[in-house]
Amino acid sequence: MQIEMALKRVGLTVLGAGLGFCAALAVLPYAYGASDGDLTSAYHELDRFGDAFAVARARYVEPPSDKTMVEGALAGMMDNLDPHSSYFDPRTFADMTVRTEGEYGGVGLVISAETGAVKVVAPMDDTPGSRAGIKAGDTITAIDGEPMLGKNLDQVQKKLRGPSGSHVTLTILREGVKDPFDVKLVRAAIQVEGVKFKREGDVGYIRVPAFNEQTNDGVVKAIRDLKAQIGPGIKGYVLDLRDDGGGVLDGAIGVAGDFLDGGEIVSTRGRKPSDTERYDAKAGDLANGLPVVVLINSGTASASEIVAGALQDHKRATIIGTTSFGKGSVQTIIPLDNGDEGALHMTTARYFTPSGRSIQATGIVPDIAVASGKDESDESVLFQETEAILPGHLPPDDNKPPVVSATPIQPDPGKKYDDFQLSYAVAFLDGKGKPSAIAARTGTAEDGN
Amino acid sequence: MRRYALVGVGAAAGFAAAFLLFPVAHGATDLSSYHQLDLFSDAFTKVREDYVRPVSDKELVSNAIEGMVSALDPHSSYMDPKDFADMKIQTTGQFGGVGIEVTMENGLIKVISPIDDTPAARAGLKSGDFIAGIDGVPVQNITLDDAISRMRGTPGSKVTLTILRQGAKKPFDVTLMRAIVQVDAVKYHREGDVGYIRLPTFNEKTDEGLERAVRDLKRQIGPGLKGYVLDLRNNPGGLLDEAVSVSDDMLNGGEIVSTKGRNPSDNSRFDAHSGDITDGKPIVVLINAGTASASEIVAGALKDDHRATVIGMTSFGKGSVQTIIPLSPGNGALRLTTARYYTPSGHSIQALGITPDIAVAQGDENLTGSRLEQESEANLPGHLPGEKQPAKAPKVIHAPAGKKYDDFQLTYALDYLHGKSLKSADAN
Repeated sequence: MQIEMALKRVGLTVLGAGLGFCAALAVLPYAYGASDGDLTSAYHELDRFGDAFAVARARYVEPPSDKTMVEGALAGMMDNLDPHSSYFDPRTFADMTVRTEGEYGGVGLVISAETGAVKVVAPMDDTPGSRAGIKAGDTITAIDGEPMLGKNLDQVQKKLRGPSGSHVTLTILREGVKDPFDVKLVRAAIQVEGVKFKREGDVGYIRVPAFNEQTNDGVVKAIRDLKAQIGPGIKGYVLDLRDDGGGVLDGAIGVAGDFLDGGEIVSTRGRKPSDTERYDAKAGDLANGLPVVVLINSGTASASEIVAGALQDHKRATIIGTTSFGKGSVQTIIPLDNGDEGALHMTTARYFTPSGRSIQATGIVPDIAVASGKDESDESVLFQETEAILPGHLPPDDNKPPVVSATPIQPDPGKKYDDFQLSYAVAFLDGKGKPSAIAARTGTAEDGN
Repeated sequence: MRRYALVGVGAAAGFAAAFLLFPVAHGATDLSSYHQLDLFSDAFTKVREDYVRPVSDKELVSNAIEGMVSALDPHSSYMDPKDFADMKIQTTGQFGGVGIEVTMENGLIKVISPIDDTPAARAGLKSGDFIAGIDGVPVQNITLDDAISRMRGTPGSKVTLTILRQGAKKPFDVTLMRAIVQVDAVKYHREGDVGYIRLPTFNEKTDEGLERAVRDLKRQIGPGLKGYVLDLRNNPGGLLDEAVSVSDDMLNGGEIVSTKGRNPSDNSRFDAHSGDITDGKPIVVLINAGTASASEIVAGALKDDHRATVIGMTSFGKGSVQTIIPLSPGNGALRLTTARYYTPSGHSIQALGITPDIAVAQGDENLTGSRLEQESEANLPGHLPGEKQPAKAPKVIHAPAGKKYDDFQLTYALDYLHGKSLKSADAN
């Protein structure tokens, strides 16, 4: 490596860029209404960018493409803001538009990629993935021969999706099987899993796996059917939002509204007035004021956290489980040049619960912390995946202390539960379950809020 | 929208003025630069105004420049004014580390090679391992520099790396105690009547160390000395001057290496002087996938001059030259790829590496099946391409089944110098 001290060559360029931004500066004050100090900084920094651009353009080993350089710059600027902000290059942006408008197929796998290895969290029922026998815990090492080690979730999803009827080959590494093997799948339109419900004795259990346009209808129907099945003796409801990664905001507003009789559900606050909004519940509580337990865990994120936070703040539900993920930021897609140059996918606001708590990075802390009781020492879970562990995550708010969760209640060592958190919730609603009847450490649990 | 429109005009006017000067400075003739800079200015303005919280202009632009330069290839990067000021302190000062040469691939940190006698080598880290986490924090979305600074720390302190290894079922943790990484002395010993010399890296002391090794080995072995093994396996490179001197020690003249870039100032050629300190004795150079950069220059020079027989596996292929180019005062510097290295026969090392004369596998290569790739420059996303098709690799010789070797490649090299390995001659 050599260090160069000669600056002459660069001189002309700098002058060029400098003049350029000077002219820009003349117009900026009017546009921004910003202080002089602000603008001096913007001018100076844009000048630095122009300087670097010109030097790289002149000196790189082969003539670089201006487009590659600027796309790299936009990606570098956006990716470092927080884990949810990014730059969509024109191709990605066009693909995305197609995906939301046309019918796009998938293989029906819920995957995670936070630790660098692409893991199957769960195959969805009745999809190509589950029919081909892909299992939770499988590692996808390659898709169509391209290694997936170290790819991020977006990159992996992009490879998995394609027109319905098209083929995709996954190379799977499975615990207990020595060599990776290939599985060929035909993509199909994936129906996002719907709301499920069942009675648990006198308690109505409602499972919401994700929030989409149909979710609220599903919850409304579940409440109606459970009322009919259980009759007047119904003690209350369990709303299960565990591992619900969120989805459509309207779905969350609808579901929270089903259990509330008016009042605020959530608000967003950003720097621009247009990013500040408030969403309210309609009058009428479909659950007739009966007790509600909301189950959450570290997989409860985004739209699910809005529901849990709203019902918690209105003291409409008791939140049971473990602290949620903490994805409480709002992203806006801002097209550049009408989308011809891609778009910025940028965090513009934070979600706040009705009492003014930021969900971001903090998550929803349960009223009663109850562990899943499953063996969580699985070595493949290297990092508990929460927003706060993501490098460069947006902090909760500009100055609020974090809320700490109590030590979760564990099942008695000798006892076996299919689903300890659900058993705890049902016992709690039945009233048998003074929590102390089921586990000894209620004292610490009640410090939880 | 009104606001944006006005800013847009401002930026456009600004860059138009800049553009007028571009042709003079760079001979640019297209509108692309103007349009692209305008696009950046537009995006910068939007982030500055609308991001959920105010971000410093400085941070935005530093990240943008880093993104721009690192989009060019994996070895180009940006040093912001602070990094640039720190650079001189860092190259002279001592710090604790774990002793690995790393690069960035797919958002993860990839081990190019562990350095001999360091915590990483002792803990068994291998070329091609990925580091997915440092002290329990995932490395995705952090920069290479940031990852390196997290691995560094006070000697004696501990750091836990989460390793993904191809062929291993699960990621696993390795806890290392940081140490002062002595980048590292030349080692040598006699292997019967052959002199074995190991260069773990190329630093200021390497050439001096090699000269002493040759002198001592000559004295120890005496006139029966058959030849030398120069072991460059897992040598990630270092200083170009030292690579040139080491090659020069064993050559009697002729070209060692040349660099070619777009600008005449980036073209250079290094020649050997007369005088071969090894007296023309046979030499085997050992290389593997962890042999990179300065090591590849030595292997390429000795191979092209037919001065040595190169044995082992194809080398890494890091054949690009980075120059630190200061921007105007206060703006930091670019570490930019400005040229490629060429061996005397005109072979570009970049992305192709040095192909051994006799391909001999050690048996522990980080490969599982044909599907997973071998680590090399050519596999780095966005690597600078080489210029020619790679030479067709010779058939790889493996250790005979059933026999155990401490170091099969070295055993092979010694047999070769003793004229024993006739079976290999057919295989080649």
